[in-house]
Amino acid sequence: MGITRRQFLRWSGVSAVGAVVFNGCRIPEEELQVESPVDMPEDLVTGTDNWYATICHQDPEACGIIVRVVEGRAKKIEGNPDYPINQGKHNARSEAGLQALYHPDRIQQPLFREGSSGEFSPISWADARRKITDSLGNLSDKSKFLLVTQPLRGHLALLASEFVQAYGGKHMAFETLEQVTLRQSVKDVFGQDRLPDFDIENSKYLISFGADFLSTWISPVKYSRGYGELRQGPGKRGVHVQVDSRFSMTAASADEWVPVKPSGEGVLAMSMIYVIIRDGLGDSDAVNVLTGGDGYKALEAFSPGNHDVVEATGVSEERIVELAHAFADQNNQPSLAIGGGSAGAHTSGLFNLRAIYSLNLLVNNVNRDGGVFFNPAPPIEKLASQDVMNMGVPASFRDWKDIDRPQVLMVRGVNPVYGLPADANFVTAVENADFVIAFSSFMDETSAKANLILPEHTYLEDWGDDVPDPGPRYQSMGLQQPVVRPFHAETGSFGDEMLLLGASLNIGLAGRLDLDGNDNPTFQDLLKKGAEKLWMENRGSVKAGTFDGFWNGVLQRGGWWDIEAKGDAIGGDPRPLDISWPNISIEGPTGEDTYNLIPFLSNSIADGNLAHLPWLQAAPDPVTTMVWRTWVEMNTKTAGEKGIREGDMLEVTSSNGTVIAPAYIHPAVPPWTVSMPVGQGHKVSGQFSERYAEGIGVNTLSILAPVVDGDTGALAWAATRVSIKKTGEHIDLSRFEGNVPAIELEPGKIIQIALPD
Amino acid sequence: MKRIAAIGVIVGGLGVGGLVTLFLVLFVARAWWTTPFEVFGFGGAPEQPVAFPHTVHAGVDMLVDEDGNPKLDGNNEEMNGFGLECTFCHRNVGKGETAGIPPVEQCIFCHKVIGTDLPEVAKLVAAWDNKEAVVWERVHRLPDHVRFVHEAHIRFFTKTGNLLPSGEQAAMAGNVCSTCHGDVAGMAEVKQVRSLKMGDCVDCHRDYSAPTDCTTCHY
Repeated sequence: MGITRRQFLRWSGVSAVGAVVFNGCRIPEEELQVESPVDMPEDLVTGTDNWYATICHQDPEACGIIVRVVEGRAKKIEGNPDYPINQGKHNARSEAGLQALYHPDRIQQPLFREGSSGEFSPISWADARRKITDSLGNLSDKSKFLLVTQPLRGHLALLASEFVQAYGGKHMAFETLEQVTLRQSVKDVFGQDRLPDFDIENSKYLISFGADFLSTWISPVKYSRGYGELRQGPGKRGVHVQVDSRFSMTAASADEWVPVKPSGEGVLAMSMIYVIIRDGLGDSDAVNVLTGGDGYKALEAFSPGNHDVVEATGVSEERIVELAHAFADQNNQPSLAIGGGSAGAHTSGLFNLRAIYSLNLLVNNVNRDGGVFFNPAPPIEKLASQDVMNMGVPASFRDWKDIDRPQVLMVRGVNPVYGLPADANFVTAVENADFVIAFSSFMDETSAKANLILPEHTYLEDWGDDVPDPGPRYQSMGLQQPVVRPFHAETGSFGDEMLLLGASLNIGLAGRLDLDGNDNPTFQDLLKKGAEKLWMENRGSVKAGTFDGFWNGVLQRGGWWDIEAKGDAIGGDPRPLDISWPNISIEGPTGEDTYNLIPFLSNSIADGNLAHLPWLQAAPDPVTTMVWRTWVEMNTKTAGEKGIREGDMLEVTSSNGTVIAPAYIHPAVPPWTVSMPVGQGHKVSGQFSERYAEGIGVNTLSILAPVVDGDTGALAWAATRVSIKKTGEHIDLSRFEGNVPAIELEPGKIIQIALPD
Repeated sequence: MKRIAAIGVIVGGLGVGGLVTLFLVLFVARAWWTTPFEVFGFGGAPEQPVAFPHTVHAGVDMLVDEDGNPKLDGNNEEMNGFGLECTFCHRNVGKGETAGIPPVEQCIFCHKVIGTDLPEVAKLVAAWDNKEAVVWERVHRLPDHVRFVHEAHIRFFTKTGNLLPSGEQAAMAGNVCSTCHGDVAGMAEVKQVRSLKMGDCVDCHRDYSAPTDCTTCHY
């Protein structure tokens, strides 16, 4: 019997539908099974959740979190309501910590390879430890050892600092789009080594220069909470003005956005200072200090009537005077000026930020509600030493550029191969080192270049602590505890390994850390040592008769803090203003079709260290609603003139390279700029991959011009000029916006967005 | 002959197809309202990875082998069940939603020493040595849209001393469990005895004047 085509289709259709329908009716086999645990703590009740407090390490902010744990599995992350930094709030990045824990691409055993190429093969921890000990023990010039980590705080900073000192090597902290200028300006203006606490909550007039503080700047969860109070709290509603060269999420939330030309922020702030002093609105002491007694005449170059000022800022004379008056107006006190992000990422970055933070001195808001509060030293003496504090300060781009080639390199938790522009010499340093050790939970560009990869626990499985920076204006410490057992059998703790390494190298590390009496000290022992000191002082949020009681109390609340232990009342003497015209230089092609490139940290994947988490890849950007890619933001009018439509692929070329990304057109992009998020375009060579990060978008950081701030050597990452060219290709953008037609909710509330003049 | 004739009449009347349909309808109807007939593996006790005899652990009666002869211990004496409380192993029952399956570790508390020569106990010891979970076949399962909390029921039946409408004393501590699970202590292989359908739940809630709002269980 022959089968006709029609019969074949009918039967195959019926059988396919049948297979689906009957499979759907059946109860899945695993639901008809119940697994007995192998062993179980006696107090564990099945089906009942336990919430454990710990610290989130997805962000440098390090929020306090509580994790819901059911039968030994972490299920949900929320903000810790007790923790002074975030006070119960958290963000999408901390929420996604669970995906890091259960990620299918986690490195599950130590991996080793000879040389800098070839395949990795698994080895045992014992062999891995022996290899590290050998490489460090045989190193003749100990200064040729380099440890690269993220900026470290708390006891991990103490441990790393002591290790480097005992062994005799170097440490460098890596931060993508580092805030080196910010730290220096805080030191210059306020005389503070630690970042201060900005009281956004109680401010009545907040002017922010380039600081995307609701999304990614320094301590966004804390600031977002404060911002809610500023806008909707009791009392007079505060006003927020955002001076920004990009229409960021923070600019979109502001009462007013002042689009400023890149690097014009400093000149604008200086011009405001000029007007405030000229019109007699500033605090007289501050005026004397800042101008060296010369008054506004010293700042004549920055008079808003000056054509250069309007040219450099792109803001009109009247607007500058208005802003200055509003900032110093008695009715608007307390007022607060903050700055950072792209404002400090120019060749005149430090000049910009010093001018911006000096505004605060003129309204005398230091240590006043709604102003700037200084943070005290960490509560434990050992953690407050300068060496330990320095572990938290990122190295400037100039340091990376002039890096001394190390022979043994140890990298932990950061990805400088991806995050530095090509000129940093770091890649060659990695490739030429004799032995490269990477502590990492995931394969990334840097660990792919290593000889030995050691899989680390995620922060949900490990001990740790944090001294928040910026702190909550009083002494506080967060405690990180393992909320679940390590998910994989062969991952390890960086702290424990450093202690072991110290012991096997016989460099007296345990002695330096007062862990002598202990045969096999762990990082938890070190934390307990510190906690013991706090317990004996008998002050702050947790007091107890016994140390065990204290330790349990601190674990339960996620940390310890003492609201009475405040920072300095008065800062050091501020340096007088730098009154010479700043050296603004933007590097790259000039002429037709060239724009200032403003890179920005993604609201979800940050600098790319979270690009491997699909929840965050799929979280829409707050301004463009874009997901899963890199895009180029362009002004509607400019794009119209150039015949560029949304989704057109653009070649973005700087002096350092070219990337290709689709255009996203919107009217609130200043016509002299284009903006691109950072964090995508990951590429791990070799036998491993990052399944959710690879092949998505481009690495914006790779095309940044290697220009630096003249004073600090910080990377001027907003000082790159690029040319734009259409490739002729076009794609549909993956985004939320536009899929649902916009509707008018309340008549008469349409917000018109006008182009800047 | 008469019987064959009777079958012939029925088959003749209904036809083979009708007969099959009748059985199907009967089977589905019985399964719908109570538990299914025990045929083709329906309704019976599922086969477990370790043949755990509740009779030995929870029962108190004399133990017998497959042929009904008394089991003898090393001293050739008849053996009785051990008579453990249900909560000795199902420790979670008074605390949370699920009664809980004991961890392998708990079995090993005794079976480190006892019965290590028995093949079923050997499986358990192997699981413990390899740190492997034992995956049991579920006997009692409620649909996902029902929330059944053991703790509330245990508390109600043991602490409040409720009486049945007939005046009969409600099951006391030891046999609270058997209210729904039947005489598990007498089962070599555990099987479901009550229908545990919604009608069953609601009837019992009515008998004990327990709330019958939808949201009592569906939430």
